Amino acid sequence: MMKSIKQHPILLVAFISVFLFGSCRVALVPAYDANLLSQIDATSKQVDKFYLSMLETTTKENDGRKYELFANDYVNIEVELNSLLTKNKIKPLNENSTRICEITLQLWQKYKEEHKEKNTLSDGLIKLNRQTFSDLFYAMQVAEKGKDMANNPPK
Amino acid sequence: MSFDINTVIADMLTAIKGSVDKDWKEVKSASAQFLERDKSRMEMIATFRISGELSQEDFESKIEDQKMIIEAELNALAVISKAMAQNAANAAIDILEKAVIGTIKAAL
Repeated sequence: MMKSIKQHPILLVAFISVFLFGSCRVALVPAYDANLLSQIDATSKQVDKFYLSMLETTTKENDGRKYELFANDYVNIEVELNSLLTKNKIKPLNENSTRICEITLQLWQKYKEEHKEKNTLSDGLIKLNRQTFSDLFYAMQVAEKGKDMANNPPK
Repeated sequence: MSFDINTVIADMLTAIKGSVDKDWKEVKSASAQFLERDKSRMEMIATFRISGELSQEDFESKIEDQKMIIEAELNALAVISKAMAQNAANAAIDILEKAVIGTIKAAL
């Protein structure tokens, strides 16, 4: 073997390279987490149901959309969004998903405060808020798909 | 078996190109979806303002929110781009590893 190395100095470089590159993998995104994606899907459905129910089963008349009637739902959803943010924050290499969650939580709190201040919500605002969160959850899902793509490159 | 660095580099480049080509459709599809959703949201905002469903104050607030939504979408695309770069880099490293190990085995 030593003779082979002497005859082929490139082998020495090769040995060093194998030592250096052995099991060396580039990691730019965190590992895919199926549980996190399930929680994103579940929270997305919860928000969708919240706005659809408000739109379909209530009206602005007779204080039908006063904040108090929806306060519990706002809290429950905010708890889920906080949980998503925390789970994203603790993962290394996960600043992009963390930022998407921060934006979602920030807008959720903003819309909650607006509802509280006005103590009602128009059909137009309900539709727009619903669309906004649908798009933000879609962004979260796309980010998770990206992580899955890194673990399982498309064939 | 000799270790031909030119062949290995050429094979690594082919692997990178193959990997990027495969992943590119994901970037394209996600970008198209985001643009479609942005268009639909902007249309809703404009329609509701014109019909009076949104006040000027609400309209301005919603326009301001669009910046954040687009920032979120760009962050999602960044994850796909990073995954694409990760796949390409690892495909190239695989080629290099295989070439080096193959050369060592042949020489031993």
